[in-house]
Amino acid sequence: MKIALRDVVKRFGAVIAVDRATLDVSDGELFTLLGPSGCGKTTLLRLIAGFSRADAGEIWFDDQRVEALPPWRRHIGMVFQNYALWPHMTVRGNVTYGLKLRKLAGAEIERRLQEGLRKVNLVGLEDRYPGQLSGGQQQRVALARALVLNPDILLLDEPLSNLDAKIRMQVRGEIRKLQKELGITTIYVTHDQEEALSLSDRVAVMRDGVIRQTAPPKELYERPATRFVADFVGVNNFIPGVCQGLADGHVVADTALGRIRARAAAMLKPGDRCVVVVRPENIALSSGSENTFEGRVVLASYLGNTLRYDVETNRGPLLKVDVRDPWHHEALAAGQRVTVSFPASAALMLVDD
Amino acid sequence: MTNTGGGLGAPPRTALPALGVAAIWLFLLVFLVYPLARIFYDAVTDEAGRLTVAHFVEFARDRFYQRSLVNSLLLGLGTVAATSALGFAIAFLLVRYEFVGRNLFSYLTLIPIISPPLVGVLGFTFIMGRAGTVNVLLMDWFDLVRPINFVYGVHGVLLVETLHLFPMITLNVVDALAKIDPALEEAAESVGARGWRKLRTITLPLTTPGYAAGALLVFIWTFSDFATPLVLGVHDLLAAQAYLNIVQFVDRRLFRMGIVISALMVVLALGFLIAARQYVAIKDYSSLAYSRVARRRLSGLRQALVVVFLSLVMLASFVPYLGVALASVGRGWSLTPFPVQYTLHYFERVIVETPKYILNSFLYSALAVAIGIAVGVPIAWLLARTRIPGRDTLDGLNTLILAIPGTAIGIAYVRAFHFDLPGLDRGLTSFWIILPLVLAIRRLPYTVRGSYASLLLVHRSLEEAAASVGATGVRSFRDVTLPLVWRGVLVGALFSFMTSLQEASAVLFLSLGGWETMTVGIFSFYIAGSANEAAALGVILILVAALSVVVINRVAGARMGGMFG
Repeated sequence: MKIALRDVVKRFGAVIAVDRATLDVSDGELFTLLGPSGCGKTTLLRLIAGFSRADAGEIWFDDQRVEALPPWRRHIGMVFQNYALWPHMTVRGNVTYGLKLRKLAGAEIERRLQEGLRKVNLVGLEDRYPGQLSGGQQQRVALARALVLNPDILLLDEPLSNLDAKIRMQVRGEIRKLQKELGITTIYVTHDQEEALSLSDRVAVMRDGVIRQTAPPKELYERPATRFVADFVGVNNFIPGVCQGLADGHVVADTALGRIRARAAAMLKPGDRCVVVVRPENIALSSGSENTFEGRVVLASYLGNTLRYDVETNRGPLLKVDVRDPWHHEALAAGQRVTVSFPASAALMLVDD
Repeated sequence: MTNTGGGLGAPPRTALPALGVAAIWLFLLVFLVYPLARIFYDAVTDEAGRLTVAHFVEFARDRFYQRSLVNSLLLGLGTVAATSALGFAIAFLLVRYEFVGRNLFSYLTLIPIISPPLVGVLGFTFIMGRAGTVNVLLMDWFDLVRPINFVYGVHGVLLVETLHLFPMITLNVVDALAKIDPALEEAAESVGARGWRKLRTITLPLTTPGYAAGALLVFIWTFSDFATPLVLGVHDLLAAQAYLNIVQFVDRRLFRMGIVISALMVVLALGFLIAARQYVAIKDYSSLAYSRVARRRLSGLRQALVVVFLSLVMLASFVPYLGVALASVGRGWSLTPFPVQYTLHYFERVIVETPKYILNSFLYSALAVAIGIAVGVPIAWLLARTRIPGRDTLDGLNTLILAIPGTAIGIAYVRAFHFDLPGLDRGLTSFWIILPLVLAIRRLPYTVRGSYASLLLVHRSLEEAAASVGATGVRSFRDVTLPLVWRGVLVGALFSFMTSLQEASAVLFLSLGGWETMTVGIFSFYIAGSANEAAALGVILILVAALSVVVINRVAGARMGGMFG
């Protein structure tokens, strides 16, 4: 099932929680709403689910407008942030509740229960109460409860935020696998950019109720459209400056660091204030043919798979520089003088917002 | 640590706190466990001290007691049913809907439960009795020949108890509803449940633990209340029989039956308590909800219906106050809808001429609160901060007190402390100090709960942080813990004080000439036919209660619901 949002607006009093949100989710896609807390992503999900009504705009499920439909008419399955398992019902009770409401035959209910529990690897725990399950198990019950009704759309509201890091990675993989197997159109809400990148077909980044960019994970990471997205997704260096114009297919900017050549990602005219964005892993500890600067190490942070240097350049600005393979790298001491450089193809020039 | 026997501030390490703990246990053993054990002993032994079930057999064979038992059970269940219907409906309206005057109603709902029960009955008889305002008006307006019996009889007891006790259910259900995570209901909606179905299968079951606690208290209260039935002329109830049997003091067989009845009450309370605990223990649904279910605004017509409904309930609940207020200043109020003349004579009698009622009440209640704080705050601290052996028992005893009827405690004290004290030729029952003691025990849970709740709010790490910067146990208690918990202690103490003033059942058994409290005064004035003096004392009790509530709200913005759970 396809989902389309057209200029959806939701206000709470004077606050605009969702501001003219427009997006298209294709059939079978896993689409993520990503953003910091309070950005409106959960509100948008709840509008899609039907728990609150939009103040303006259209919500389409395939060819049907659904704004006026209550949640139980939308054929959705929803997993809530804290699972919202009914504590007075067993796993069986929780999962089969919706089936019983649909007055299915007992044998059919049992078959769907077993099928649902198999999907989430919970067979055998039917008679436990939610209070007797671990967080990961509760999460799966919530997933099974949403899936046994064979919904057209699966909505997941920060489903992993209450789990430990290890379990989170594991369940993340399981959700992705299950979603692909079932081919169910899924909207996934999270504030965790790593989760969003690893799971999604496409991601919409939200801030202050506005969708800032919608793109596949790779594009989002490599070609952020705004400074906010570049900052929120992954780690970045930001070097403010003034755009000077095109040269040899790249744009040139005058910055505090000196003259920088970069890819233009936005409509920039000479004289515009801009910001050059470059990922730490794209900066090398050596001189290059372009964008080469002198500086000295002020801090080295060991991150296991990476060694991150804070390099203070001679002209002032601090750059984060990653060494990808610390095993085969002799760490530099603080104060040591270094030369750093990055290719113009790995630097992005954005409008400074 | 260098703390005193109070045992506050840090884990007990030296002999002194150990002594404090021992003192607390001694207090509970002597004034709670022993008296209860004593009536059980009496109930299962004969005059020579041999074990026997004869008393129970006699009780069970007696037609009158059989009827009384059945009546009491039916009355209890009936009151639970009536208060549940009313209490649930009101709780739902208050929590889930928005309508004109919602805040006002949520305050008004509290009032019946904090008003002195004995006074409530009086008020009903003044307004709804055979010669009460309503009947007089009906006779005047509609030429009614014989007055309608609104209140005298079991139906009257049911009415009075229901209107007095429904807030117990409302408070608990409001509390439970507020704790339900809205996502639980949304999850139900997302799979297709709505309306009554959602209410019945999801919302109601989630309120049961809180509701069960309220219903239990309503049942025990009704089951053991003898003052209300006696004022309304109902004698064939167990509690009423227990009272009549005990206070006659002449017939030893009847006296023994009174003890058997009170033992039965305790067993019943214990049984219910254990059942409720088991039930609630496996069903703790409270979640720290991230948000609340949004209140729904009602349409104009529905709003009007809700306001009319709540106004009628409140009007019925406040009838007694009107009646008592009129009776306290009205002269010549018979066969007229309202008093003919007004006077302050009755207030003069109970305040100036015989000030003992008020003086005794305040003295005993103040002493009871002092004892309650001395024992209750350390207990709260032991429960909240330590893992000492016997902690669970302490917790259990404290809850048990809430469930044990005042009637049973009163009888137990009469029986248990009648023996001559060593060195004196009189028993503890002949010293007035027994009244503050029994009040202290009866109200102990309020102080413990008030203090315990605030101690839980003061996270251990706050004290540890104080210790980490060099504050010793006593200092960190004084500088960190105390400023954060005193409100809870004060609220518990005020609540104990107010309800001690209102205590009727236990005090009625133990009061001797010269020790009369306000409630004893009300009861004896009314039984003796001086309804106006009773009403004047009632008005004073109501005023004190109102003032206490105002202060409690000021101090804590308190949610008093926790006191009744």
